[in-house]
Amino acid sequence: MELYSPEGLRLDGRRWNELRRFECHINTHPNSADGSSYVEQGNTKVVCLVQGPMEPKQSSQSNECTIEVNVNVTNFSTFERRKRGKSDRQVQELVTTLERTFDQSIMTHLYPRTLIKLDLTVLAQDGGLLGTLVNAMTLALIDAGIAMYDYISAVSAGLQDTNVLLDLNNLEEKDMSGLTVGVIGTSEKLALLMLENKMPVDRLESVLALAIVGSHRIRELMDQEVRRHGNDRLRKRNEM
Amino acid sequence: MIKEQKRLAEGLSVTSKVFVRSRNGSAMKIVREHYLRDDIPCYSLACSECLDIVKPDARGETPKFILSSKPTKCNSATNGHYLVVDTNIILHAIDLLEGDLGFYDVIIPQTVLEEVKNRSIPIYHRLRALVRKETKRFVVFHNEYSEDTYVSRLSNESINDRNDRAIRKTAKWYQKHLESKNIDIVFLCNDNDNRFKAKKENIDARSLIEYIDDLPNADELRDLVPADMTSFDELHSSDIMFPEYYSNARIMAGVKNGTVFQGILNISQHNILQGQVNVAQFKKPLLLMGSKNLNRAFNSDAVFVELLPKNQWKEFSYTIVEEDALGGENPDDENIVEPVISDKERQLLAQEAIKETAANRKDDSDKRLQPTARIVGIQRRSWRYYVGQIDPSSVDEAGNAVRDCFVILMDKQLPRIKIRTRKAAELVGQRIVVVVDQWTTTSRFPHGHFVRALGPIESPEAETEALLLEHDVEYRPFSKNVLDCLPKEGDDWKVPEDPNDPSMVGRVDLRDKLVCSIDPPSCVDIDDALHAKRLSNGNFEVGVHIADVTHFVKPGTALDAEGASRGTSVYLVDKRIDMLPMLLGTNLCSLKPYVDRFAFSVIWELDSGANIVDVKFMKSIIRSREAFSYERAQERIDDKSDNDELTNSMRILLDLSQKLKQQRVDNGALNLASPEVKVYVDSETSDPNEVEIKKPFATNSLVEEFMLLANISVARKIYEAFPQTAMLRRHASPPSTNFEELNDMLSVRKPGMAISLESSKALADSLDRCEDGNDPYFNTLLRIMSTRCMMAAEYFASGMYGRSEFRHYGLAVDIYTHFTSPIRRYCDVVAHRQLAAAIGYETLDLSHRDKGKMELIVKNINKRHRNAQFAGRASIEYYVGQVMRNNESEHEGYVIKCFNNGIVVLVPKFGVEGLIKLDTIGDVATAEFDEEKYELHFTDFSGTRRKVGVFDRVQVDVKSIKDEVSGKRKAQLLLK
Repeated sequence: MELYSPEGLRLDGRRWNELRRFECHINTHPNSADGSSYVEQGNTKVVCLVQGPMEPKQSSQSNECTIEVNVNVTNFSTFERRKRGKSDRQVQELVTTLERTFDQSIMTHLYPRTLIKLDLTVLAQDGGLLGTLVNAMTLALIDAGIAMYDYISAVSAGLQDTNVLLDLNNLEEKDMSGLTVGVIGTSEKLALLMLENKMPVDRLESVLALAIVGSHRIRELMDQEVRRHGNDRLRKRNEM
Repeated sequence: MIKEQKRLAEGLSVTSKVFVRSRNGSAMKIVREHYLRDDIPCYSLACSECLDIVKPDARGETPKFILSSKPTKCNSATNGHYLVVDTNIILHAIDLLEGDLGFYDVIIPQTVLEEVKNRSIPIYHRLRALVRKETKRFVVFHNEYSEDTYVSRLSNESINDRNDRAIRKTAKWYQKHLESKNIDIVFLCNDNDNRFKAKKENIDARSLIEYIDDLPNADELRDLVPADMTSFDELHSSDIMFPEYYSNARIMAGVKNGTVFQGILNISQHNILQGQVNVAQFKKPLLLMGSKNLNRAFNSDAVFVELLPKNQWKEFSYTIVEEDALGGENPDDENIVEPVISDKERQLLAQEAIKETAANRKDDSDKRLQPTARIVGIQRRSWRYYVGQIDPSSVDEAGNAVRDCFVILMDKQLPRIKIRTRKAAELVGQRIVVVVDQWTTTSRFPHGHFVRALGPIESPEAETEALLLEHDVEYRPFSKNVLDCLPKEGDDWKVPEDPNDPSMVGRVDLRDKLVCSIDPPSCVDIDDALHAKRLSNGNFEVGVHIADVTHFVKPGTALDAEGASRGTSVYLVDKRIDMLPMLLGTNLCSLKPYVDRFAFSVIWELDSGANIVDVKFMKSIIRSREAFSYERAQERIDDKSDNDELTNSMRILLDLSQKLKQQRVDNGALNLASPEVKVYVDSETSDPNEVEIKKPFATNSLVEEFMLLANISVARKIYEAFPQTAMLRRHASPPSTNFEELNDMLSVRKPGMAISLESSKALADSLDRCEDGNDPYFNTLLRIMSTRCMMAAEYFASGMYGRSEFRHYGLAVDIYTHFTSPIRRYCDVVAHRQLAAAIGYETLDLSHRDKGKMELIVKNINKRHRNAQFAGRASIEYYVGQVMRNNESEHEGYVIKCFNNGIVVLVPKFGVEGLIKLDTIGDVATAEFDEEKYELHFTDFSGTRRKVGVFDRVQVDVKSIKDEVSGKRKAQLLLK
């Protein structure tokens, strides 16, 4: 399979530095959660619901704010139906990564002795799942009004031979070494860097640079949606 | 199925493709995104609009517009034209497209490219190479990604129809796009239906023949049109010559239930109607006899076979059958009516065959009976370019009419090929290149077509080129892309003087060491040099310095890709085909004397018994003091009066090397022999004038021993650093069955002698014991014959085998690699890179850390290495033939094989072996062949009864004759 043709096109017709179709909605489930969002990156589709900050069930001794993440990968999300238990190793790893990322990005000192619970449902998968999950969580947290230092926007990038490619889909992800970054706001600081296979050190920098540029673009798109939603609410309130 | 189309931004929209597939009974739904864009250029120099829309790729390069603004014209048109080609044209006429006679400015729609890829990967690669080359002006137009040319599949449309429509739409788009530029589009397609539809859409669609007929140089091109497009007239579907192959489903089912086996076909060297297939399930190969059972397979095709009933199991035939002896009719037992047998019975048969091949049979009558089989399908054809010549007897009259004729290939194990040409009379007496197109059940011979002529038979140029083509050696000059990777300074490149230069960092300066090189006389690519010094503690410091090729050949460059694909340099008698461009091989990398050069050094501390105390590896800078030939070095060492430091260090080296050699021999290293000769070519007339058996000096073995030591040390180091992907070389111990026949011959012909196989040590010792007091050459002869029973050594990546299988049997070491000749072997280049990474000099390229990629590299260099050896041997054989042409004489020869109608004799003086057919030396009717004793009894022309047997020394008349049929000159031997 030719992941990147000599004419500079990828399997799905994108060029090297193009993101997949990115669509997001905020406040999708206003009645069932404190904050909610829906994100599509290509064919990867995720719903995120936030509950909290609220009182933890068992009142723990700690003064800290607890962030609890649940990831539910639906059976129909991949092209072959497959049941995954909660203890699925890959899912567990995702959960840990996400918890760590957002521990640092939420102003947890503002919410002592509380629990913030995030429920993520993966409706469809086509590569770049971690990035999409991060983006959905950022939007849902903003919707819930939980204080964060800045947006966390994430996207994957990979290395095919010597070519760097942005936002890998499932086919590309399987055949290339790739990484996912989560960028804080418009800075070049990383809240998340995930590299699960090998990548030559001398190429790492260019892959990182491309992923950061891609994340900034995603942040812009998310920001547009947040502002659109904000204006909507403002208008509705004024009408009342 | 395509769902809705969504517009994302100006010039970019997305659709999704949905397929439903079932695997293992469960349904799968695959959804893929498909982006359509408006920035795909037409690549025409005549077009100015497309220049504005191009976007750079990941390397920051913008696409090149290469389609000429003034393309070639047809006879019937006023405008020049571009070609849009269909898949069937590319699959059938790729040779034609590659040729220089026509077909410039060709547009390949992406749909076609993908269809080609699905049908034939090799043709796909050739097509990609054509596009890369740019001189032929081929471009790929990504019609599937362009908004203007994308078509979605209609509800009741087959995928083929949809693709045809997509291709037509591309042609139409180009037509409209270039209308104002006065450039026509010709759509080439051999499918009548598609062409008809295209014409309805106002596209200028033509078949290949129609198009060629309209070109100014139609006559030249017409002969090159592949066979199945011109239809042979003598095809009568009624006379079926061969059984049909089984359907895929039937073969797969057969493989599963154990009635069909797969393997590679080996046609016997002496009998083209007999082949063997090595099947993993059986210990011995299966025998295939007769053209019906061989069922149109070529030598080295991957085939599927089925066992024949036991009453048809046969003995290995001891008859010589050559293609030219066959004539028109095949002396074939085709009348055997085959009983119908069921799958159940076939499975039982297979079990029996396994038993048969595994058991050590004592029953004498059954001893030579082998299971036979027949071919029921071809997995992969080994078809390639073939070199041959037109059989003069198949061309009866002169004239320009199109006619069929036979081409006899140089490779004796292949059948004649039928081609159709109007130039037959002209081509008689020329070496020509042909390609096989098909072999139908109704035709006795495969059909092919003429590609090009190399030149008259026996002209050195044509013969050399033929030889290179036959062995699949890439001999064309290096392309511009490759040469661009060389240092810009060219011959003036020097080791930088500034020690802070990036290429100097990390290098050790060894310019003070007394380094010298020892090579064959007039060697220009010096890749190794040595030095030695006595240390104060009584030990010795010995250094081996290897040309630092990887400093110039960086991974991922075109230069590296070319080197990797060539794999090795090829040495012919009169010519050397380099793996790397001359500039590197003979100058920048070559460790020439008196100049500074970059090297990769291995430096040991050895004690006086030549045991390794310590070893270090480093990139270095050296300055060789002298380049010796083996002979000159020997003279310096032998000259007692010569006592300068350099000579003394060579004496140290010689002394240590002898100890190393002794160690190796004690461990059981083999000393095998091959009948190697050297041909001297007259420098003025370039006529070969003398043949000599290579004679070694002690200094040969001096260099060899240290190279072996370096290779072993490096192998250990890189295996330690890269346990999965280290580039190594192994030599498997020979299976005992390989020696069965030889040992049997020995026990019958030379009682008391035997070759023992327990270990390489035992083998070496038993070979030493096999001496014939009356015949000093006998031992060498036996070594030559043993060599042929050995397995071939092979390159591998360390992850491919268990540690215990790394052993190099011939050298009797547990791990080995090739490190010392990076100028001429690609394995060494990889080993250099891995060693550099292992010592932390640089990071290792991904391709040498990836198991899959290493396996591909290894597979290729093994094949190239083998081909290079064969090509070298064939070249010597040819020149020996030329030498003998001038001096006919009588020589001593040895019988090495006996058939019931001939013998094979080896002549040590020339290193040639030749077949002596019985009918040339005696009366065939009187011959008696004693298989048990490997003897042939016959009455010669003078009426005396004679017998010859294997290992016999015979006097033969050697003269060189030209085989009128194959055009090959070969040694003709006549028994005295």
